[in-house]
Amino acid sequence: MSNQQLVRQQMNTLFSEIQYLIRLLYVTQDPYMKNLTLNQLWNKVDQLQFLTQLEGSACPHTSAISPEVKTMPTALPMSAMPAQPQLPASASVPSQGMPQTQTTPSSQNPQQSFTREQLAQFDGRNGRPAYVAVKGIVYDVTNNAAWSAASHFGLSAGKDLTQEFASCHAGEQWILSTLTPVGRLID
Amino acid sequence: MTEQTILPPEPVTNEAIAKRLFEDAKQKLAEGNVSKPKLVWLELNGCSGNIISLLNGQNPGFEYMITSMANLVYSNSLMIPEGNQALDRLFELLRSNEPFILAVEGAVSLKNNGMYQLVGSYDGKPLTGLQAAKMLGAKATHVIAVGACAVDGGPSAAKPNLSQSVGLQQVLERKIIKLPGCPCHPDWFLGTLSHLIAYGEPALDRRDRPLLFYSTLIHDRCPRLDYFHKGIFSKTLGEPYCLFKLGCRGPVTRVDCPTRRWNDHINWPIGASTCIGCSQFGFPDQMAPFISYETTEG
Amino acid sequence: MTRRIVINPITRMSGFMELDVTVENGVVTEAKTKGTMFRGFEQMMVGRSPFDAIYLTQRICGICSTAHSVGASLALEDALGVVPTEQGRYLRDVIHASEFLQNHIRHFYQYGVPDYVRVLKLNTICDSDHKDFRLPSSVNDTIAAHYFDSLPISRLAHELLATFGGKAPHNHGVFVGGYSTPATVDQLVRAKSILKQISQFTDEKLIPDAYLLAKYYPDYFSIGRGYGNLMSYGIFYDYSELGTLYVQPGVFQHGAYLPFDPDKITEYHDQSWYIGNSPNRPLESMPEPDMGKPNAYSWVKAPRYDGLPFEVGPLARLWLSGNYRNGISTMDRTLARALEVKKVIEVIEVLLDQIIPGTAVQKRWDVPDRAMGSGLTDTTRGALGHWLKIEEKKLSFYQIITPSGWDFSASTSINKGTAEQALLGTHIVDPDHPVELGRILRSFDPCMSCATHVHRPGHPSKTFQVFG
Repeated sequence: MSNQQLVRQQMNTLFSEIQYLIRLLYVTQDPYMKNLTLNQLWNKVDQLQFLTQLEGSACPHTSAISPEVKTMPTALPMSAMPAQPQLPASASVPSQGMPQTQTTPSSQNPQQSFTREQLAQFDGRNGRPAYVAVKGIVYDVTNNAAWSAASHFGLSAGKDLTQEFASCHAGEQWILSTLTPVGRLID
Repeated sequence: MTEQTILPPEPVTNEAIAKRLFEDAKQKLAEGNVSKPKLVWLELNGCSGNIISLLNGQNPGFEYMITSMANLVYSNSLMIPEGNQALDRLFELLRSNEPFILAVEGAVSLKNNGMYQLVGSYDGKPLTGLQAAKMLGAKATHVIAVGACAVDGGPSAAKPNLSQSVGLQQVLERKIIKLPGCPCHPDWFLGTLSHLIAYGEPALDRRDRPLLFYSTLIHDRCPRLDYFHKGIFSKTLGEPYCLFKLGCRGPVTRVDCPTRRWNDHINWPIGASTCIGCSQFGFPDQMAPFISYETTEG
Repeated sequence: MTRRIVINPITRMSGFMELDVTVENGVVTEAKTKGTMFRGFEQMMVGRSPFDAIYLTQRICGICSTAHSVGASLALEDALGVVPTEQGRYLRDVIHASEFLQNHIRHFYQYGVPDYVRVLKLNTICDSDHKDFRLPSSVNDTIAAHYFDSLPISRLAHELLATFGGKAPHNHGVFVGGYSTPATVDQLVRAKSILKQISQFTDEKLIPDAYLLAKYYPDYFSIGRGYGNLMSYGIFYDYSELGTLYVQPGVFQHGAYLPFDPDKITEYHDQSWYIGNSPNRPLESMPEPDMGKPNAYSWVKAPRYDGLPFEVGPLARLWLSGNYRNGISTMDRTLARALEVKKVIEVIEVLLDQIIPGTAVQKRWDVPDRAMGSGLTDTTRGALGHWLKIEEKKLSFYQIITPSGWDFSASTSINKGTAEQALLGTHIVDPDHPVELGRILRSFDPCMSCATHVHRPGHPSKTFQVFG
């Protein structure tokens, strides 16, 4: 299956899950359950948004609107990000068809995929950017206030922190939407 | 008909609220509405910095506390009797079943059944910190964990924690008011004590810290916050810009240092170097490294 | 008639200590000072960023925390090859000196005075048991009032510290290169103003009170001498333009004045809970703990200089600098501590005048892959040493010998610890209320949080008996 089909399939799954969650919200009385469900919904919408961007820039000829590719990052709410992170130089398969306007410094390139080894390079030491991965999405925390010295409560950047995030920030999925995604984590 | 004086609106900063609490407690004590409770200050495995910090309190200060707020029954650093006679005070208090407030500083060391830290020896038998914490913690009306070590182990429990030190909650199954800080600011302790005397337990967050003192992040009230937003960072200590790139833990520390400041408002850590997160759970291991030059670019 | 007296806790000191003495026919024939608390700061440092040591070692002790920040920063400067500028030294030394003021004033009034003076009974903590109060009631009440008058003054000493150090206890002002943030003019004038108040209190109340105690308790000039060997690593000395403002490193050994040689420092642990090489030099290998060790009784090891136990502290400093040569005893130590406050105030006054506001001394310090360094300085209670090694840019070894390690060392097979020796031969008037013991011990200004920080990785410990 091509990347595009994979993304489409994921998006469809997400759409079903979102519909299910909305139906669930209608019948849920308990405010605690409601909030949990809302959190999950937010998370799913977030993933959907990411995939949409992924799809949109991967296949410019399929978007009937214009050959120009839209820039990404400002759609996401962010905590104060004073400086723009450095873009990693590595390119990966989905970005091959991209027009040049993609590479302006202020735009993000969401088609980056990172293996765990590549992610480990972005440990925030010696001037390198600091990236962390949660649930398969790689985020840039270089200028995130909570990640001074590229560390956060004893955790270091350059790693997959899905487990740690789940245990410390259970019920706080909205935190992820304050981070800047820069790619996917591939195993 | 007397005219009612119109008072100016009351400030609602944490400092102002705390001050009103002190005045109120003072008044209640003076009117005899509230009696002076007994206070036990139990030092366990730590540096005793919290009682030194307490001595730095100003309005109220230590002398006000022991003359007008509480009846200090025990303190290893300050009490005049020693040895058996000192411990007599503790055991008499327990036998009398009188109510008392227990303030604990220092961590509880578990290794070797607590023998890594002795509060004393009573009638020839060692009294470990572990035993004292459990004995007194079970009977106190309120228990306050003062300082990082008592709250969650702090520096005493830093890796590799050879004394197996833990925070007080690990050995006591009851509500403990937690005042993290390394050391705890005298105002945080005296404010909590005031509240206990006049109104009972203060409003606590989900980590049992009084909201009165531990609510907003240091980052959000830092005078250098604007530099952070504009991306202007100090490259070395001592520069007046944002210290984020040197390892400042202000963004993850929830306490009122930027406004209350230290030592009678004279200065505060960020005025000298960076915030090392001493008042947040996880200090020191989870706040390390404190100062870092080898990090992300500014 | 032989009687064993065990006092635990010794109150009015920093940390936890047990005193175990044997009194035969009213005279102390055996004495053991035992450190009864333990955290393991040396092992704690291994694996951490070297700069963190300046902050974390402060947490060894709350009343003398600045001492450790200075020791660690000196050791780091040695390891990193950094030579601080004179301006860097001046401000760091002002921060350090402020800690002396706080410590001595609090030690004199809050820790020491209640042994000799009936402090107004306010709380249960103020009940006094013994009867040996000799001051006439007016004198007694004056000093008792000063107990409370001193509280704002010692607070001011910490405000002085915090002016440049950010906060006290556990300051943020000391760092590699001297100090972190440059002083401003308003801070300097605030410091001078605070210093003036402390100076006034010292001249009008502290020093007269110390002499009053000496007047009414003159027998204490012959009690608690110890071995009579004094040592200082030097403090406030060898400034390039100011010369030496206080005391150079040196020793007074068996009556002779000799230069100080750091290579003569060793640590024994014959009767401390450790096994391994004994004696051991600070940068050599590290002994392992063993709580089942027979004949061992303390967490404090036994530092020795040239194989001998030494006394450190204000008396040693005043003696070696030629400022006070009256004698070595309990009362001499107590007087020396009060007199040293005045000396340190003078030092701060000189330094404050030299500081140029706005002088930046900080850089982005480079940590080498491998390095070794030591930082020796006198501090509030005496001589303090930090020794460290760096490997792969992280701390791989850390060793601290504190002043209370010297004064409250355990015995070895050859000699006793300094305070232990000072207790021997003391005549106890009333064995039910042995006030002499506490007075002698407190004259050394014990800090057991400092003395017992030591630990080594080792086998899991077995149960042991503290007594017996």
